[in-house]
Amino acid sequence: MITFEGAAKHYPDGTVAVAGLDLTVESGRTTVFVGPSGSGKTTSLRMVNRMVEPTSGAVLIDGEDVRSQDPARLRRSIGYVIQQAGLFPHRTVRDNIATVPLLLGWGRSRARSRAAELMELVGLEPSQGKRYPHQLSGGQQQRVGVARALAADPPVLLMDEPFSAVDPVVRTGLQDELLRLQAELHKTVLFVTHDIDEAIRIGDRIAVFRPGGELAQYDTPERLLTHPVDDFVESFIGYDRGVRRLAFFSASELALREDVLLEDRDTVERARNTVDTAGQPWALVVDARRMPLGWVDADRLRHEPSGLELGRLDLTAFGHTFDVERDSLRAALDAAVLSPAGRAVGVDPDGRVLGVVSQADLGGAIWSVSG
Amino acid sequence: MDVLTDLVAWFADPGQWSGPGGIPARTAEHLRYSLLGLLISAALAVPIGLVTGHTGIGGFATASLANFARALPTIGVLFLIVLLAGIGLVPVVIALVALAVPPILVNTHEGVRQVEPALKDAALGMGMRGHEVLMRLELPVAVPLVINGMRTAAVQVVATATIAAYVGVGGLGRYIVDGQARQDLTMMLGGSLLVVFLAVLTTLLFAGLSRLLVAPGLRSLAAAGR
Repeated sequence: MITFEGAAKHYPDGTVAVAGLDLTVESGRTTVFVGPSGSGKTTSLRMVNRMVEPTSGAVLIDGEDVRSQDPARLRRSIGYVIQQAGLFPHRTVRDNIATVPLLLGWGRSRARSRAAELMELVGLEPSQGKRYPHQLSGGQQQRVGVARALAADPPVLLMDEPFSAVDPVVRTGLQDELLRLQAELHKTVLFVTHDIDEAIRIGDRIAVFRPGGELAQYDTPERLLTHPVDDFVESFIGYDRGVRRLAFFSASELALREDVLLEDRDTVERARNTVDTAGQPWALVVDARRMPLGWVDADRLRHEPSGLELGRLDLTAFGHTFDVERDSLRAALDAAVLSPAGRAVGVDPDGRVLGVVSQADLGGAIWSVSG
Repeated sequence: MDVLTDLVAWFADPGQWSGPGGIPARTAEHLRYSLLGLLISAALAVPIGLVTGHTGIGGFATASLANFARALPTIGVLFLIVLLAGIGLVPVVIALVALAVPPILVNTHEGVRQVEPALKDAALGMGMRGHEVLMRLELPVAVPLVINGMRTAAVQVVATATIAAYVGVGGLGRYIVDGQARQDLTMMLGGSLLVVFLAVLTTLLFAGLSRLLVAPGLRSLAAAGR
């Protein structure tokens, strides 16, 4: 547990970096400090490992003031990951990871075997251990940065905008990786970012900082989205917070329609009966393995020869699907909005169609969870 | 073409290759003074450059001192010290040190200064102490520039060690000074060629040294053009 007790940082020129922070970071959880630049989030993080000393107040780890320990020894017991990884260019990946164990005097062979363990943990190939940092991609370098921070198995991990310098696709992958690692390791993670989406994605608790180094709100991601305390937090989160909140609800509760599914071997006549019976303007054509092929609309069916197989028709693209078990209401809504048929296709983990849901039905489901 | 024929004859004369006045003996003297001057310079300049680069204290003083020393005429320094300390090896080595310290000092200082702040932040944040940051991060990253400074210094020292002849302690400068005195153009040319040859060898030696001492990660980094 990390406790900030009125921790403040004022510079001699009168600048206030942190106005006086009172906050408790729970053990074994991920806490995110988020805010625009100049809001004191990084300065607050750096108070924990004494890279910044507060001008008043204190920071405690498990009840003990961090200033009671020698800074170098304190820092060796805390993992530290920075933006763009900060890897040492003259050392191999393996020796970068072994930095803290070597500082702790572990001995070379033990430090190296620990480095090998960590490379596996963060998803790096063993062959990459002998390479140099600049030979890796940005995403791989960040993995090395995380491995290096975890090398001495510290209970606390400080991460200062670690994923901000990589492209969005790689960033999402790294966030997933962090979530997976955290589910396994249960570290006390303190994570700084300026990206509210990242905060919502990875945080168990989120502290929103406002310019001038003040804490605006400290809450769970869901509470933050439903109950922002003031205009600043609301505008910082963004105006689509209602839609983003749907990310916290599973799509598995949705009522999917199966009565508008047709096989590619079915005839146009059969399809006409199906849409008439269901009273639906669209039907989804699937193959024998229930993989989606495309949409066909009721008007079109009236103009096609009755005996024609549906597989021979030019179908309307089904867009992207959502995984009923794993995806959220947000993903389902997105799929429906983007679909030319105004309907989303729900699939199982193998991509086989379970059913479809219309925007109107989704609206009902959203209404019921929003209450 | 006469000059060339004379020069070949000068080098071909077996008498040139033996005795205390022969080419091998003169070259050995020359190399000894050069090496001595360079080693003393490195022993002074590298530690000072590391400390000023690491602490950021004395950076301005270092640069000013180096610029001042660079402006000194080496031959003037030599004669000044001869006046003060008398003839011998000491004034020669002091003059060479005054010549070699500035490039080594400035390069070492800059080599340490140019280590990215983010790397130092990471090193400190992981719990390195000041001297560990210097020895495990700043020095290895500065090595290419340090060697560069040493190479510049070494080439200058090898070329300038000819001044030893002015104060009667030999070296390849002997041929140039004696040749001048005797109006013997061939001897002067022969001596100059030997100095040029040594300077080229020195450059090659440092190229090899940098392959040996620069961490492979930094070498391929430079090769990648970043």
